[in-house]
Amino acid sequence: MSTGQLTGPHAPASARAADRGTSGRRARVTLSRRTRRDRAFYVFLGPWILGFLGLTAYPLGYALWLSFTNSDGLSPNTRFIGLANYREVFTDPDTLASLGRTGLFTAITVPLTIIAGLFLAVLVNQPIRARGLFRTLLYLPAVVPPVGAALTFKLIFDRDSGAANGVLDLLNVNGVAWLADPYARYVLIMLTLWGTGNVMVISLAGLQDIPRELHDAALMDGASWWQSFTRITLPLLSPVLFFQVVTGIIGALQTFLPLLIALDPTPKGVGSVPESNNLIMINVFAQFFANSRYGYASALLWVLFLFIMLVTYAVFRLSKGAVFYSVEPEQAKDKATSRKTGGK
Amino acid sequence: MPVSYRGSLDRRRFLAASAGAALSAAALPGCAASVDSGSGSDSGKTLTVMAKVDEWDAKGKKEIEKTLGVNLRLITYDVTKLNAMLSSKNPPDLVRGLGAMEAPYFAARGLMTDLDPYFAKSEVLKPSDLADANDVWRYDGEKQGAGPRYGLAQDYSQDCMLWYRTDVFEEAGLDLLSETEPLSMDELLDIGKRLTKRRLGKVKVYGLSAGGSLTSFMWMTASAGGRLIAEDQASVDFSSPEARKALQWYIDYAKADVGPSLVNPNPDGWDGPTYQANRMAITTSGHWFGGIVSTDDKLAEVSRFAPAPQLGSHRVSPIFGGTGFWIPKDANNKEAAWKFFEWYFAGAPAKRRLDGGWGLPTLNSMRPKLPQKTALQKQAYAVQEKELPYISVLPVSPYAQIDALNAILTKVLPDAIKSGTAVGKVADALNSRMNEQLARGKELVG
Repeated sequence: MSTGQLTGPHAPASARAADRGTSGRRARVTLSRRTRRDRAFYVFLGPWILGFLGLTAYPLGYALWLSFTNSDGLSPNTRFIGLANYREVFTDPDTLASLGRTGLFTAITVPLTIIAGLFLAVLVNQPIRARGLFRTLLYLPAVVPPVGAALTFKLIFDRDSGAANGVLDLLNVNGVAWLADPYARYVLIMLTLWGTGNVMVISLAGLQDIPRELHDAALMDGASWWQSFTRITLPLLSPVLFFQVVTGIIGALQTFLPLLIALDPTPKGVGSVPESNNLIMINVFAQFFANSRYGYASALLWVLFLFIMLVTYAVFRLSKGAVFYSVEPEQAKDKATSRKTGGK
Repeated sequence: MPVSYRGSLDRRRFLAASAGAALSAAALPGCAASVDSGSGSDSGKTLTVMAKVDEWDAKGKKEIEKTLGVNLRLITYDVTKLNAMLSSKNPPDLVRGLGAMEAPYFAARGLMTDLDPYFAKSEVLKPSDLADANDVWRYDGEKQGAGPRYGLAQDYSQDCMLWYRTDVFEEAGLDLLSETEPLSMDELLDIGKRLTKRRLGKVKVYGLSAGGSLTSFMWMTASAGGRLIAEDQASVDFSSPEARKALQWYIDYAKADVGPSLVNPNPDGWDGPTYQANRMAITTSGHWFGGIVSTDDKLAEVSRFAPAPQLGSHRVSPIFGGTGFWIPKDANNKEAAWKFFEWYFAGAPAKRRLDGGWGLPTLNSMRPKLPQKTALQKQAYAVQEKELPYISVLPVSPYAQIDALNAILTKVLPDAIKSGTAVGKVADALNSRMNEQLARGKELVG
C-alpha cells in the first residue's frame, strides 16, 4: 500500500491536507444538502404553521381575552369583568343543561355509530355478489353534505307535510310532531347515524389489513366465527376503533346539526331549535350571534375546549391495555431499542 | 470546525417569522380600517353593498354600475359577517336592514351615519315627502321614532293586516271579512278554528297564521291599551293586564293548533309558500304580501286584503319592517352610497317596486301611483288607504337585538303552552330573562 493511499492520522502531511480538502468539500456538500432539506421542510410546513398561528392560536388567544370581558362585539363600553363569565358558565342552569344534553348525546351516538359502522363493514367484507355496489350504496349518505341531509330530514319529518307522517297516515295512525320536543332528539340521532358510512369505510380498511391466515389458523383450531371475531378481529382492529372513538367523541361534543334541521338556521332562528336538541354548540352560537354576548360565548368555548382536552386525555388513559398495535408505535419502539442496546 | 447555520433558516427564526407574519395578517383589517375613506383611487369607484343574495340579477347589477358609475361589490347579507365587519371598522358602504327592528340597536352603538345632512342637500329625497313609516329609521339617543334619520325604507307595510283566501271561507260557509271594520282577536281566532282542516292529528289547511314574536306582543298589548316596553326602553313588563291578555291570546291560539306557532313552526319558514299552496286561509301580513299574491292570477282572484284586528279597544296598525338600507358610520364610500339612496329610493327601482305591489312607497308623492289595474289591486288600495290613519311605530329597545328577545320567547313559551303553566308565571319568566338581557345591554351602551 503506497503512502498516497493512506488517510487518517498516519497518513503523510500532504495526504492529510488533501483529505481535509476532500472532507471539507464533502461537508459543504452535506451542509448544502442539509440546508436544502431544512428549507424544503419549512416550506412544506410553513403554510400549516401560518394557518395554525393565524387561524387557531390567534383566535384562541383573542377568545380567551374576550372571555374576561362583557363584550358584545359592537358596543363602546366593553370592560374587563374577570372570571364572571366563567362563574356564570358553571352556575347558569341553561348552560349546565345543554352540557348535560351534549354528554348524553355523545354517550348515545358514539357507540351507536361505531357499532353500526363496524357491523356494516363486517357485512360488506364478506365475499358476496355485488359487494362493491353495496359498499357504494352504504357509503353514499356519508358523502351527502350535512346541509343537504338536514334539509332532507326536515322535509321527511315535518308534521303536516312530511313523508314520515305520510306513512303513518297510510296506516291510519295519528301524525307526530317529529321536529318538536320530545321527538326531535330521535330525529337528530337518526341524522347522526345517517353518516355511519364514514365509520364503515375506515373499519373496512382496518378489516382488510388483518391477515387472513390468522382466521384460517383459528378455524383449523376449531374456533367459532364469534370466537374468531372477538379474539382476532376486534383486538387487531382496536387501534382503528380507538381512533374512531376519539374523533367521534370530539365530533359529537362539537355537534352543530340541530341548527341545520331547525326551521331557520340563522342567528334569528336559533331559538327555534327544540330544547331537547339544545346542545352546547347551539348555546354558544345563540350567545354569540342572537344574544351578542361575545364575552360569555368565548368563555363557553374555552370551557368546551378544555373539557374536550380532558375527555380525550381520559379516553387515552382508559384505553391503555385495551388497544393492541400489531406494529409498535414509533416512540415505544425507540425506547425498546434503546433498552436493548443498553443506551450505547 | 463547528458548522455554522448562519444564513439558513433555523427552527426558532422560522417560528418567530411565522408568528410575525400571522400577527401582521391579523392586524391588516385594522390597518385597512384606519385608512381615510374615499381617498384611495379604488375606494371612490367601488360601492360595497351587503344585501340579499338575490337582491339584483346580473342585469340589475350592471344597471347600478352604469347609473352610479361605480364597481358594485355585493356581499350576501349575513348578520354574523356584518357584526365582524362593523367591529373591525371595515363595513360595507350600504347595508340592507329592517328599520323597525335594527335601527335603535345599531344607532345607539354609534355605528350608523346620520343622514340628515344628506337629506338637507338632496333634491329628490326631501324629508317633507317621506312617509311617516320612515320614522322607524330615526333614533334620538334614547328612543326610536324621533331624532336624526339613519336609513330609509324602500317600501313599508302595516304588518298586522290580513290577507285571506275567499275560496276557503266560502267552503267553510263563512262571510268575507269587512274592508273597514277590524275584527277582534277573539273573532279572528274563532274564524281560524272554523277554517282549519285536519286529518289524523295533522293540519292539512291552517286556518290562521298569527304572531309569536316580541313585536306581535308589543302590538297586541298596545291594542289592549298598555305598553310592553317601558318608556326608558330598559325593561319589559309582561305582567300588566294588557300584556297578560296578549299572552293568553297567543297561548290559546297555539293550543288551538290552527296555524304555525312556536310549538309547531311552519316548515316553509314563512307564510308565502303555504298560502300559495292553498294550505293557509289567513295570513297576518302587510301590503307587501300583495306582491306575492299578484304573481298568480288564480291566487289573486281568491285573495282579499283586510284591516288589522285588535285585541282591545285601541286601533293600532304598526310597521314591523321598514326594510331598506343604511350607511355604516365607517363606510368608505359614503358619497356613492348616498347617490345609490337617491336613485334607489326615488328613481327607476322605486317605480318598478311600486308597480309590483310590494308594499307602500317610501315617498308620499308616489302613493297615488300604486297599481289599481286589477280588482285585487283596487280592493287592496282601498283597504290600505283606510288603514293608514292607524299607522304607528312601536319603539323597540336599543339595548338588545330583537332576535335575542325573540329567542327568549321561543325558549319559554313552548314549554309553558304544553305544560299549561299559568299566564302569570309565564309573564314572570319572560320578564326575568328579558330584563336581564336588557340590563346587560344598557350597561354596554351606557
